[in-house]
Amino acid sequence: MPDFVLFLGRFHPLVVHLPIGFLFFAFVLELYGRWNKNPQLYMAIDLALLGGGISALVASVLGYMLSLSGDYDESTLDTHFWFGLATTLITFFAWGIRSGKLRIAQLNGLKPNMVALTLVVVLVSVTGHYGGNLTHGSDYLIKYAPFGRSEKVVLPPIAQLEEAAVYDYLVNPILESKCTSCHNSSKKKGGLSFQDTIAIKKGGKNGEAFIAGNVAKSEMIRRIMLDPHDEDFMPPEGKTPLTGEEKSILTFWIDNANADFRVKLADLETPEEITSIASTMLGLEDVTGKSGISLPKVGLVKEEVIGNIVSAGFKVRELIFESGLYEVVLPPNFINSSNSDDLDGKLEMLLPMKDNIIWLSLKDNDVQDRHLKTIGQFVNLQKVELEKNPITDKGIAEIIGIQSITGLNLYQTKITASSLDNFLKMKGLKRVYVWGTAITEDEVARFAEKQNRPDIIMGM
Amino acid sequence: MCDHHNKLTSNNRDLQSIERQLDRREFFKKTSLGIGAIALSSLLNTEKVWSAVNPVANPSNSIGSFTRNKLGLPHHLPKAKRIVYLFQSGGPSQLDLFDYKPKLKDMFGQDLPDSIRAGQRLTGMSADQTAFPIAASTLNFKQYGESRAWVSDAMPYLSEVVDDLCFIKGMHTDAINHDPAITFFQTGSQQPGRPSIGSWISYGLGSDNNNLPTFISLVSKNGSGQPLYSRLWGNGFLPTEHQGVQFRSGKDPVLYLGDPENYDGDDRRQMLDYLKKLNGIAYDAYGDPEINARIAQYEMAYRMQTSVPEVTDTSDEPDYIFDLYGPDSRNPGTYAANCLMARKLLEKDVKFVQLYHQGWDQHGNCPGGVKYQSKNTDQGTAALIKDLKQRGMLEDTLVVWGGEFGRTVYSQGQLTNTNYGRDHHPKAFTMFMAGAGVKPGFTYGETDDFGYNIIKDPVHTHDFQATLLHLFGIDHERLTYKHQGRRFRLTDVHGDVVKDILT
Repeated sequence: MPDFVLFLGRFHPLVVHLPIGFLFFAFVLELYGRWNKNPQLYMAIDLALLGGGISALVASVLGYMLSLSGDYDESTLDTHFWFGLATTLITFFAWGIRSGKLRIAQLNGLKPNMVALTLVVVLVSVTGHYGGNLTHGSDYLIKYAPFGRSEKVVLPPIAQLEEAAVYDYLVNPILESKCTSCHNSSKKKGGLSFQDTIAIKKGGKNGEAFIAGNVAKSEMIRRIMLDPHDEDFMPPEGKTPLTGEEKSILTFWIDNANADFRVKLADLETPEEITSIASTMLGLEDVTGKSGISLPKVGLVKEEVIGNIVSAGFKVRELIFESGLYEVVLPPNFINSSNSDDLDGKLEMLLPMKDNIIWLSLKDNDVQDRHLKTIGQFVNLQKVELEKNPITDKGIAEIIGIQSITGLNLYQTKITASSLDNFLKMKGLKRVYVWGTAITEDEVARFAEKQNRPDIIMGM
Repeated sequence: MCDHHNKLTSNNRDLQSIERQLDRREFFKKTSLGIGAIALSSLLNTEKVWSAVNPVANPSNSIGSFTRNKLGLPHHLPKAKRIVYLFQSGGPSQLDLFDYKPKLKDMFGQDLPDSIRAGQRLTGMSADQTAFPIAASTLNFKQYGESRAWVSDAMPYLSEVVDDLCFIKGMHTDAINHDPAITFFQTGSQQPGRPSIGSWISYGLGSDNNNLPTFISLVSKNGSGQPLYSRLWGNGFLPTEHQGVQFRSGKDPVLYLGDPENYDGDDRRQMLDYLKKLNGIAYDAYGDPEINARIAQYEMAYRMQTSVPEVTDTSDEPDYIFDLYGPDSRNPGTYAANCLMARKLLEKDVKFVQLYHQGWDQHGNCPGGVKYQSKNTDQGTAALIKDLKQRGMLEDTLVVWGGEFGRTVYSQGQLTNTNYGRDHHPKAFTMFMAGAGVKPGFTYGETDDFGYNIIKDPVHTHDFQATLLHLFGIDHERLTYKHQGRRFRLTDVHGDVVKDILT
């Protein structure tokens, strides 16, 4: 195919809008003319129809040239072709009747122009629709329509990153957002379609799109990695290029996942970078915890619950925006020996959000063993500050069930070395601060010989 | 007049014309109904736009501001709640403190090979030298702790806590002179005018203690050298209440907090309430957010009248704490005393405490200068780390130690067997961090045998800043502020989180 023909052909999408405009305008004039019988209007209808006919003819020729590139789905193309041709012919026919160049006696009584023009408008709409399907893909028009969207295949949400099938959850969404508008079953640019797995494996005019396990030889990867100014760069100029993260996912899929369509993340050795990108893509970011800390899944807390807690003197801070995970702090010295009975009530107030609190600080607030019984119900705690309180070993026994605690601050409390064994039962515990307690250096040194123990941090 | 609800209107013609302009804006704000407004609001997320005015100035909103961050922060679980940044101004010599280069001993006095310098630009102070003689450190290095970290004998106290430290030996920066380099470290730009790290964090995360500023800076009085400017803790284009408040060294850390003579302060609350109303009227009329910032600062100053004397009073500290921080700690305004003050501020949940100690600019007499500087700072730094640790505060407090750049391996000026000077060196230097979320007893990055170029794991200033924000739960690419038509961030368009140093 001579390049020049294709060059001209690409003007088709531009020129087609002329007949559309002309013909719709002719139709509007005709309607208007019925109400306002101004003879000059009739002249304008003539002209609009002639203009529409000629531009439709030019558009048809250019359209044929474009179709020779072979990038389009044939059945849709055929329909578009015949409807386009029909539009052109009927337009000339309508113009013939209108201008009196064509006289058919039988049609005179039928207000022929209105009929012919309606037909033309219908035809041009149908043609336009098929043309649009060819260019943008058949689901383009109603993709964001307020109806019928649920028909789209919706992947079941997953709770764990490992469950995600690499292709379905990570690769396909990228292809859909960045590639399929030009590479689909009706518009196969370069003969390539990403519509389904069979088409993807088949590849395009230049051979396979990718070689499983070999990124270096995979054409699609080569194209997306090129310099954006390169002629072969994909997606072409004017479309949104792939982000670095998206490129990493595609590369990972072809290289590490061997371009398998079923493999799950759990089956693969996944580099940290991919885990992080994947969790962001799947909205699991908060669960895996970007900080490498696993977090509980909790519901949100009602604003009024928090409002009450704040008015009781606590400071409440959400630790990840809209995660429902909170840090709760009772400012030091809020409770002292004069109002120590208040603490029971205040801690009770926290119970409605007990699962949502992961950091809790009650330092220097006259916390006693009986209060720890309440705190023992806060099963998701990770950091707990209880320093400078009259807590004893008995109190510690109340909270050993909270396996998620990693840091426990008990400095200047009344605990003794007998709590050390209880710390062993808290599997998540990493650091306990015991400066200023009865625990001695020797006891800590002996404890240090045990397996799977937290660090006991002393002071001067 | 304070009770009237009408808007302030003016008799001045010029002002009236401005008022009319504001009315037009009001008009559009109130009449932009219909589908356009609905579409627009979904695009702009107007709830956020209109409510972005600072929560401090709107105490009625305070419950909401505790639980829902207006900027959608933190992005992920923070590891640090607060930070103390011990800024060693002048550029401490990494070659005489931490970056031990034994091979230099044999090359003492030899010219630095051109292949190492590779045409790198030098400052005007040593560019004209005919020779660049290698100056191996005359200080003795030893390995300490379980982590076997090298520390010179200039820092005997710090060597006791190396197992809590995370050394970054591959730091590098873009700037080669003090002012741009410090400004770069503290604000992410060599040009003045951007908000400092502390202001960004204050803006992003707000305050944990309503009675003290979120961001406090302390400059020690026993260091002198290149000047420091208040813009290093300035708010730049962020609302003014996010600027760092400098506590002066000496008797009165904050001036004019006490009542003036013959005034008992009893009606101050009443006076401030009236002032607040007046300012409120002005805000309604002109909408300048700086008025809100001013209201917030008056309120903060009022609360600081009680909170500051309380926190700066070290008289209830036991003797063994003073002994830990060293004799200087009893002398207010010294580095050691500021370290102790920093601990007290951090205990009160001040989020960002920025210490500065000047004098690390050893162009001449490097060995003596480094020893002198270390003598003034070593014990305080080590004591602060120990003290934070025994109180369990290293759990969520980040400690950062570092200067604006490092120093050259070649001698500036004459090299003798016992003395040398070192010029500024931005291509490789050492910093250390400790506490919240960074690996203890860890060394990251490596320089070549000359300590001149980084051969492994470089960390750029912007990477450091990105990592710092990361530890506070902030994605450095997503904390932005729109100013002069574009969005700004601390790390500009750079910065990668150094994941390898995180726990």
